[in-house]
Amino acid sequence: MGLIAERDTEARPDVEVEADVSVVVIVYNDEARLPAAVRSVLDQTLRGVEVVIVDDCSTDGSYEVARRLAAENPERVRAFQLPENSGGCGEPRNVGIGHTRGRYVMFLDSDDVLERNACRNLLEAAERDGSDIVSGLCVRLHLDRRSKKRDEWYPWLYARTQVLESVTELPDLLAWDTLSTNKMYRRDFLMENQLRFLRGMFYEDLMFIAEAYVAAGRISLIPNQVYFWHVYEKAAAKSISNRRHEMTNFVHRMEIHRRIDALLAERGLTELKRAKDVKFLKHDLVLHLRDLPFRDDSYRQEFAGIARDYLTSLAPEAYDEVQPIHAVCAYLLRENDWDNLLPAVDTLTNRDKISAPLVERDGHVFWCADHLDDSFGRHVLDVTDLGYHTRTVDRMFLRNALTGYEERGGTVRLGGRIVNPLGVIPEGARLSGELEFSARRRSLQSFRFPVAELRHEGAFVSWEAEADLAGRLRPLGIVDEVWDVRLKLDVDGVRTTTRLTASEPEPAQGLLPVRPRLTRLVADHVEPEVSQRGHLCFRLVTRDRVEDKDRVRELVVRGVRGRPGKLAKSGFRRAKEIRKNLTSGETKLRVYDEVFSRLPVKKGLVVFESQLGKQYSDSPKAIYEEMRRQGLEFEAVWSYAGSPEGFPADATLARRWSLPYLKALAQAEFWVDNQSYPLKLTKRPETTYIQTWHGSALKRMGFDEPAWKLRSQPRQEEQQRVLNRFDRFLIRSEHDVRTLAKAFRLQERTLLRVGYPRNDALVHAREREAAEGRRTRGPLAAELGIPEDKQVLLYAPTFRKQGGRSRRFELPFDVERFAEQLGDRYVLLVRSHYLNHVVLPPSVRGTVVDVSARHDVNPLMELSDALITDYSSVMFDYALLDRPMLFFAYDYEEYVHEGRGTYFDLLERAPGPVVRSEDELYGALESLTEDEAKYQPERERFVAEFGEYDKGTAARSIVEQFFSHWSRA
Amino acid sequence: MSTQTTQTTQTAQSTQSTQTAQSTQSPQSFPQRDVFFVSNSVNELGGVTSWSHQMARLFTESGHRVHVIGITEPAEPQDIGTDLPYPTTTLYDEHPPRVGPARGIKGRLNIAERRLRAARTAGMHEQAAKLTALFRRARPGAVVIVTQVWAMEWVTLADTTGLTVIGMSHESYAYTRACSRYGRVRKFYKDVDRMLALTREDADLWIRKGGMDNASYMPNPLPFMPEVPSPRTGKVVTSIGRLHDQKGIDMLLDTWAEVAPLHPDWRLRIYGSGEDEEQLKQQCTDLGLDGSVEWMGRTGDVPGALRGGSVFVQSSRGEGFPLALMEAMAAAVPCAAFDCAPGVHEIVQDGEDGLLAGLGNTGELARRLDTLMSDKELRDKMGELARQNIQRYTTAEIVRRWEELFAFLER
Repeated sequence: MGLIAERDTEARPDVEVEADVSVVVIVYNDEARLPAAVRSVLDQTLRGVEVVIVDDCSTDGSYEVARRLAAENPERVRAFQLPENSGGCGEPRNVGIGHTRGRYVMFLDSDDVLERNACRNLLEAAERDGSDIVSGLCVRLHLDRRSKKRDEWYPWLYARTQVLESVTELPDLLAWDTLSTNKMYRRDFLMENQLRFLRGMFYEDLMFIAEAYVAAGRISLIPNQVYFWHVYEKAAAKSISNRRHEMTNFVHRMEIHRRIDALLAERGLTELKRAKDVKFLKHDLVLHLRDLPFRDDSYRQEFAGIARDYLTSLAPEAYDEVQPIHAVCAYLLRENDWDNLLPAVDTLTNRDKISAPLVERDGHVFWCADHLDDSFGRHVLDVTDLGYHTRTVDRMFLRNALTGYEERGGTVRLGGRIVNPLGVIPEGARLSGELEFSARRRSLQSFRFPVAELRHEGAFVSWEAEADLAGRLRPLGIVDEVWDVRLKLDVDGVRTTTRLTASEPEPAQGLLPVRPRLTRLVADHVEPEVSQRGHLCFRLVTRDRVEDKDRVRELVVRGVRGRPGKLAKSGFRRAKEIRKNLTSGETKLRVYDEVFSRLPVKKGLVVFESQLGKQYSDSPKAIYEEMRRQGLEFEAVWSYAGSPEGFPADATLARRWSLPYLKALAQAEFWVDNQSYPLKLTKRPETTYIQTWHGSALKRMGFDEPAWKLRSQPRQEEQQRVLNRFDRFLIRSEHDVRTLAKAFRLQERTLLRVGYPRNDALVHAREREAAEGRRTRGPLAAELGIPEDKQVLLYAPTFRKQGGRSRRFELPFDVERFAEQLGDRYVLLVRSHYLNHVVLPPSVRGTVVDVSARHDVNPLMELSDALITDYSSVMFDYALLDRPMLFFAYDYEEYVHEGRGTYFDLLERAPGPVVRSEDELYGALESLTEDEAKYQPERERFVAEFGEYDKGTAARSIVEQFFSHWSRA
Repeated sequence: MSTQTTQTTQTAQSTQSTQTAQSTQSPQSFPQRDVFFVSNSVNELGGVTSWSHQMARLFTESGHRVHVIGITEPAEPQDIGTDLPYPTTTLYDEHPPRVGPARGIKGRLNIAERRLRAARTAGMHEQAAKLTALFRRARPGAVVIVTQVWAMEWVTLADTTGLTVIGMSHESYAYTRACSRYGRVRKFYKDVDRMLALTREDADLWIRKGGMDNASYMPNPLPFMPEVPSPRTGKVVTSIGRLHDQKGIDMLLDTWAEVAPLHPDWRLRIYGSGEDEEQLKQQCTDLGLDGSVEWMGRTGDVPGALRGGSVFVQSSRGEGFPLALMEAMAAAVPCAAFDCAPGVHEIVQDGEDGLLAGLGNTGELARRLDTLMSDKELRDKMGELARQNIQRYTTAEIVRRWEELFAFLER
């Protein structure tokens, strides 16, 4: 460092003009690309920018190019050369800093470019905020891919302009954005803090930027793209980050991490350290772990030796902030447990794969049976929350490790073992399987070979198979160069698909002859290889007549790139486009409007739908069953979305949005639905739409919701047309008239004050109970395995936008505590909203039961002795049973005020205790029986207000009114 | 934009003298430049016109040579007075032919349209040449400020060598995003020296989502600073805005239906006129609000209207940098408004000098109004603070920011 400082003072005397910004461009053997990098600086919209080129003693003409650029732009470009090659980016940058004259400094690599406005935008922020560092968005461009893919470098850090008084305000910046290049530094700041890059080490950026962040008085972040990082994946000389399997590389990485940690520790910056630890687990470690299956044992041991020390220095809390599999891998590496680690790495690489047999202990699911006596290990290895135990075998992607590979006479003999997590494949199950070979790029053909032998071995199912590839595999050639292998396993008739993981380095070798259909000139053999994700596949290769092959290839390539090829390709694309159009919603709509809607309406055709086809439930079901009970002759079509399972066998089933569905709707005499048929379908005047609706309203609905009000006038009118399709709308009470009917702007004549058909059963249940003086449980209790002596609680919360794509709903109380405290008295049924799902640990088996998958909530209500809900409309229906109700409104204010608002204050009118915390909930459950009588008048008032028309005769009166003239069988 | 801003400008002109004093007192001195404003029209009805002429006057007063250019005559003119201290030019004598780009084979074969398109293109080059001639006469350091993206189509064709070109978007990012202007802003402002949105938040969105790396922002100046603030004694909530879907008066009535019963002695005064008047009055009657809502029609005296109220309410579906809120705050009237654009929470600091509600959440807006109407002390505190805080947008301050921008873009 002293040396650099000296050089800097030497450089000072030749200062001529003070530029705003100096950009240090470093180059090593990159004469071709250097001019573009320099040009990107000279073409900046900010004019006061100078370039300092530092050549790391290249062996090509880079320095000459640099000097030529300097000669062409004498005012703005200067070129320097190191006396000998330094082997890294650090030293050239250090030398460059010494030669800068601008008030601000930036770094640029010779193969990258700056965005045109980069200097102007960074300078504006620097001067406006008085910052030492300004950082902008770096974008990685994959120039050698056809798609020219772009990757934004940690864009979440650059979503908006920010000014940080210290990096401690945004620890993730230090942890994640470790680049030195997408930034502008105040030159005096670099000098005063003697900030320089390490020499002769990889990852010099990491150390430099960590020191700079910590030293900076103020840091600005701007959302602008400033730096384009060009990524050349196919480049022969891979850059440092691509050669990460090299041990020195890892050694350097760990050394840098240690030094940064020391720096943070010295300054007492524990928050930064923790953010960095999280990043290490999520990112740095993963990069190296993924390579492990391809390395030999000595490499693994050396790797573990280096990593282990460092892993023990991580904050234990960091393990809680990463995904379970990250934590599991780090822990197993720390414990040097390779038997469990290698499968775990498979899951790390293939995220949805289950690669360990898993064990269940004390009601929790653990990754492995080892380390459970260590409390930290037990904590990390507990993977209950992933919900593996709730999946059926067809919903599992099981690890299938290749254990044998042998090639003889064109036939391969394969053997392997498939993991059997938690015994999901039972002993004695009927097992069969086949190997399937299919091309990676959309396969036109696939080849299957039976799996000769399958043996259940407890935690694994082992298998053996033979595939006569030489005889039976007939690729096309050229278009299907890579062939993937899958093993499809049938367990008692249920199929699950696995891929073959080559778990040891180079298990499979040797060419196999094949005959492509095109010609053997394009390829004559397949060769086994391992994909990036660790799976066995085969690649077409040519062994014989290499010169012929090259000629044929050239011919083929010329054909593909030439005019005939282009024509064929565009023809193919157009055909694909046409096919896509034919199956698009737009075409279907046109068919509905122009074809189906011209067919005659069929008398007696009724199309039923519940919850957008997701269920066979609710009032449409009740009406349907009443019609069947009365023996009416009619043609019933039930709409389903997803699986047709659970829908009635005596009706025609039509998948929602399918052509038969649209045809049925166009020709139906009646539509019976509780939510909405596809919005764009016009109802014919001859069709009668009975909208049963699916619950009274607490939350504001329709045009009373902000989102609806904000729509433009035309869109509001469009929405109104959709609502005007309702010919009849069922009403349970005048509350519905004031809320739903008003919110949907329905005409008085459409309102049908008959109550909800689905609630008839509830009214009957109450009447039966009153008459018999006791509550009888139906067959459902036995089906769910509920003991006679236990009371049943139903927990039915409303929909919550949580958990992102998985729609996972976190229960607001600890189910294990419930089981422990109340499990001797109660069974809790959990029914999440049909758009959410929950995961229950095995420990509560028998005490807490997930009943979310059941279509119909009615039998659950009838079965339960009390209801716990928050704001779900189930409260209005359950009240009809006159049984205790608890309102667990833990987020009432947030829900009511930050959401769309409510029609009335639940806290005032709830016909049962409203509890706000878990403890209060348990308290209320303790006094459930005492409170039952106390709240009886309130329940009665509640029913009078919200369910006055629910008299138990809704289905019958609807059938009478609309269908009674139909003949009876 | 709204009609009331027109009247505002006239008021602004009448109170100009005090502002002149403000703006010339600036301690920094800036070089004198030629500044061109290029808009759709010199005098079309709307906020952009009011803004251009306000800025043109201010720049003239600080010694710049200003020229206001319109592409064509407006459909609906706005009175901009006759004593303008700078020249104006309108390029076209009649509106250029209206024709969209050719679509599909049918479009390309439509001969009538093809002719029209050719005529339009030729005409555009002709008019752009006029622009080039005007720009040529400018001294070095001249600036072209394009206030609307449609006008940029002509500036793009003109020769702007040696000039700094600034393109402006006078509405929120989200509002532009939802219409065809979005694509045109991205296309025609792509290479201007600076594209200016109204707030940093909007600029950030243009940068990240719109891919406009040349984007920055510049707020609008305060139209006027009334000498006498509102006494906030009348039990009146004021709304000023065109009776048009965008201003969301329908949502205001829904809101009022929730507040009015709690405050029977209060009145809602709705200033403004527009195409939705009949429909809105019907809605008012249906909601049973005729007793508490007063329809005031268009007003020429915005400060007077504001002085008569104690609370200001804005229920717009979309805004840019709403002058109405700035005017109310300058009159020391606390505001309750839907947070419909970054410009709104830029102007009103929620909970400090006004109260905001989620866009379209009438229940929440009703609660905000209720809070202000129930608490005289809070009204006074927020009103006084609003009058103080809004000073950050005085003309002197905004002119200084423009001068700095001009200088920065020259570096």
